[in-house]
Parts: sequence; C-alpha cells; structure tokens
Amino acid sequence: MKKVLSFLFVIVIISTLCAPAFSAADARVIDDASLLSDSELTSLTSKLDEISERQDFDVVVVTTNTLDGKSAMEYADDYYDYNNYRYDGCLLLVSMEDRDWWISTKGYGITALTDYGISYIGDEIVDYLSDAEYFEAFEKYSGLIDNFVTEAKNDAPYDTNHEPKSASDIILAVVISLIVGLVIAIIVTLVLRSRYKPVRLKKEANDYFVNGSLILRRSFDHFIYSHVTRERKSDNSNGSGSSTHTSSSGSIHGGGGGKF
Amino acid sequence: MGILADIFEYKCPCCGGAINFDPNAQKMKCPYCDSEFDPNAFLEQDKRLDEQTPDEFNWNEKVGQQWESGEQESMNVFICNSCGGEIIGDENTAATECPYCGNQVVLSGRLSGVLKPDYVIPFKFDKKAAKEKLKSYVRKKWFAPSSFKSENKLEEIKGIYVPFWLFDSDTDAAVSYKATTVRRWSDSRYNYTETSYFDVYREGSMRFENIPVDGSSQMPDDLMESIEPFDFKEAVDFNTAYLAGYLADKYDVGVDDSINRANNRVIESAGDVLRTTITHPYHTVTPISSSVQVHNGRAKYALYPVWLLNTDYRGKKYTFAMNGQTGKFVGNLPLDIKKVAALFTGLTFGIGIVVYILGTIFGAF
Repeated sequence: MKKVLSFLFVIVIISTLCAPAFSAADARVIDDASLLSDSELTSLTSKLDEISERQDFDVVVVTTNTLDGKSAMEYADDYYDYNNYRYDGCLLLVSMEDRDWWISTKGYGITALTDYGISYIGDEIVDYLSDAEYFEAFEKYSGLIDNFVTEAKNDAPYDTNHEPKSASDIILAVVISLIVGLVIAIIVTLVLRSRYKPVRLKKEANDYFVNGSLILRRSFDHFIYSHVTRERKSDNSNGSGSSTHTSSSGSIHGGGGGKF
Repeated sequence: MGILADIFEYKCPCCGGAINFDPNAQKMKCPYCDSEFDPNAFLEQDKRLDEQTPDEFNWNEKVGQQWESGEQESMNVFICNSCGGEIIGDENTAATECPYCGNQVVLSGRLSGVLKPDYVIPFKFDKKAAKEKLKSYVRKKWFAPSSFKSENKLEEIKGIYVPFWLFDSDTDAAVSYKATTVRRWSDSRYNYTETSYFDVYREGSMRFENIPVDGSSQMPDDLMESIEPFDFKEAVDFNTAYLAGYLADKYDVGVDDSINRANNRVIESAGDVLRTTITHPYHTVTPISSSVQVHNGRAKYALYPVWLLNTDYRGKKYTFAMNGQTGKFVGNLPLDIKKVAALFTGLTFGIGIVVYILGTIFGAF
C-alpha cells in the first residue's frame, strides 16, 4: 500500500514537473518555409512566448512550403492539435505552396477571435504577407491577438457589434468631444454676456395685469384630425460570433483565412 | 444729454435747518435737531397758499395738475453746462451737479410751463442701502474687470424722482392657436406615433393698470423698464415734501408720444394672459392669428423713485439704476476679455475631456 502511494506521489511530481516542459518544448514559431532570419525568429519567439505565458493562451506561427495534400484549415488544425499546445490558443499558418494564410482557433481562441475578428486581423496582415514582409506580418498578428484576447477577457470579444477602434475613430471621437465642449462654451459665454447686459426693454406688461379682470367671452378646443406614423424598430444587433468545425482529431476549431 | 431735475428744500420749523424726507421713517426728518414731521403737515401749509389760487389754470383735464402758485414761483431752473439740459431746484438750492453726467449746473430762471405730478412713490431705500446694493451687485460679478470694480465712485449715487406717464388699458383680445398632442406606443415590430391636431380659440377682455412709461428723454427707456415693476399701490398724492433731499426730473416726452410704448406691451401681454387659459396639456401650442384692441382711459402723471449712478470706464459710460421702491438693481457691466477667454477655453477642453471619457465608458464612440 505504502509503495503504491509513493509510486503515485512520484508520478504526480513527475507530471507536475513535466507539464510546463511539454508546452515549452513545442516552439511557437515553426519556420519550415524559412521566411525569417535568425534574429527575427528569436525576436518573434520571445514575443509569442511572453504573450502566451501572460495570457495563458498559446499564440503560434507556422510557415510551410507544402500542405501535404491537406487544406490550409486541416493543416493548421492538425498542427495545433498534435503539438501539445494549450487547450486555449490560436495558430497562424502561412503556406507558400499556394500562398494561403489561415488562422485556426481553439478553446478560448474561438471565443476571443470571432469570424469578424479573424477577417479583421487578416485584413491587417495580408498586405505585409503579399509584400513578403513576413516578420512585420507576424509582429502585427501577435500584437493584435494580444489585444483581442485582452479585450475579450476584460470586456467582450471584438465583433460586428463591438469593433476595435482605429486611429481615425479615436480622432473622430476627440473632435466630436471638443465640438460638444465648444458648443457648450459658446452657450455659456452668451448667457454670461446677457447676464452682464441685463438692461433691455420689456416686451410685456404682465406685472400690470389686474388679477381677476379677465373675462373669457368665447373659448373652444376643437379636435380636427389625427394621424399615426410607424417606424420599424431597429434590430438590436448581436455580434455574428464564431463559426466552428471539427478537426481530424475530433477537437472543435474556429478559424478563417485566405490567399496573399 | 439734457437734464431736468428738481431740488426741494424745506426748513425745519424747530431749528430752521434744511430737512429731508427719510425713507426709513417715511417722514420728514431734520438732520440737525432730529425732529420728525408728517409730510402731510407740509401739504397743509401748501394748501393754504393754494386757496388763494383760482382754478382756471386747469388747462389739461386729462393728466397732471397745475402747480400751486407758491410752489412754482419758488423754484429755479438750472442748466447743465455739459449736456445743456435743465434741472429744477427750489430757491434755496445752490447750484448742484447734473445727476446724469456729473457736471456743474448754472442758474437760468424760474420754472414754468410744466405740469405738477398727480402721484409720487416715496423712496423706501436710502442712499446707504443703494450703496450696499451696488457693492454687492458688482462684487458678485466675477467676470467684470477688477479695475472697474475698484474704480466705482459710490458716493456719487443720486436719488432722483423720475417722471412717468401711467396708462390704464381695457383690452379686448382674440387669439387662434393650433395645438397638438402626441401619443406613442409600440408593438413587437413597430414604434407608433399618433399626432392629434386641435383648433383652439380664446377671446376675452382684461384690464391692465398703471403701466409706466418713462417721460424723460434723458433717462434711457430700457434702463427704466429693467428696474420695473413699480407697485402703484404704494403711490401717494403728490406732495413736494417727499422730494426734499432728492433730485427730481420733469417730463419732456408727452403723453401722446408715450402711449404707444404702453400699448405695445399690452398687446404682447394680452396674448400671454389668454395663453394661461389653455390648461389642456398639449404637446405644442402655436398662435396662428391674433387681434388685440386697446382702450386707454385717463393717464396719470407720477414720480417714481430711482437711485442712479454714472460711471466712465475706458471712455464708455455705464449707468446703474436701482428701483427706490423695490430695491431691484440693474446696470450693464463691462466683461473682462481675459477672464471670459479663460472661461471659454476651460469649458471647451474641460467639457470635451468629460464627454470623451463618458463616451468611451458608455461605448458611444
């Protein structure tokens, strides 16, 4: 009995020690297509490691010259499933075979990266990929994933009803805020000016009306007509969410991609 | 600018000093021996003189009265050196200052050709109260230049009886309105708005009494209307005793030239009065057409109490006036451009930042 317990104890210790080693063992940048220089590889790896550990969410980049006859989606899903990544994460696959890119999501990745979110990230990186600026594309990707996961945790995933702010949105918001401030300042100043110029002619003589002297001789309120207008209620839009599929290993993935 | 004002002086029956009307006691008071007298006592004195005077001078039946002969003959007219106007003062009054422009006045002759007022509202606020009002009026105005506040010459505030024509009017008015009510509801798919239209009509008669119109061309009309209302209930039959210690202006704008000003205000008010009889909670009420007829009765000539102060600031004249009956104080003030610019900039950015933060929190942006 004692032996069994100590055996179990050893198993537990070993598995605890090994667990981080497993995920750490699998690199988060797999550059089979050799698109990055050594220094870029090192820099990107350390960035993805940092994000992944901090967010408890694996962010992976894979480049390849061949999809081995699979679709980009299947290749990306399988690569994620078979390489000991966390349950929660996402993987960007760049295949030079037919110039495909694909983002596969799993677990919390499906929640954080909606269909809208993936196409947004795709739009942001596809130009870099087309121009062979792969490192810039991956940098952008990692930054956006970090941002999207943070937003999903703190507020709600970016979606059609919760779009990320671009610089021009922020400028517009600042301009609108300042215009509101300006209009209120103009009103206050005009009121102030009229307070400092209280001398004006009186339009009416209400002070000299003799109370009770009013004799109404004729008075009526006739209804003439009424009309009804109707307006369709605006739909309270919910976000489009994430569509999912099942990979060859039987796990559920979300994702999206395109050509570059 | 012209000026017409009277200065009356009564001698104390006890010590012979000049006595004034005291607004606090509402009595004539001798500052030297503290004796107090009922103003009517002096009226009696005037009446006795009056008994010798025939009534044939009543050339104006509509408004005002003839001066008692003793009163008029004992009054001098002064001319302001600066604005060329006239001031009236009694024969014991030495040359004084023009209450409008502060310049010296010189003796020109005897008073003649103007009516005696029917009524007077005595001062209820004395000079001390007027100075206090001015101080607190200016003190609260943060955006006035500090130098303007400190430069005010409080001592020069003057009590002056301003001539007013008082008009009564029996008014017939009829107004048609278009009114609407709005009802809203919704079902699962639509929001509905029902607007109902009403034809509303009001016709009636009403009375306005003692609408004052400033009868002095030197006194700005807007300033006088800004210190309204005056309460005619406190007016008393005119008695020169009330004027002691104060200046008095006399009318130089006739009744006929003043009546339109009163009637225009009545026309505006008639609509307001009829509007108050529309008690149904309509969403909107818009006057479409109106007709107002004003029937004026006899006008009255009255002197109303006003405290007046003129100040120059950077070449521009600022006049303050206080209603000597109600204490209502008005006057235009200069604005300190630097302070206003600071306020404007502060508000623009302050509110801008608040709007931006709130908009971000509530997801408006």
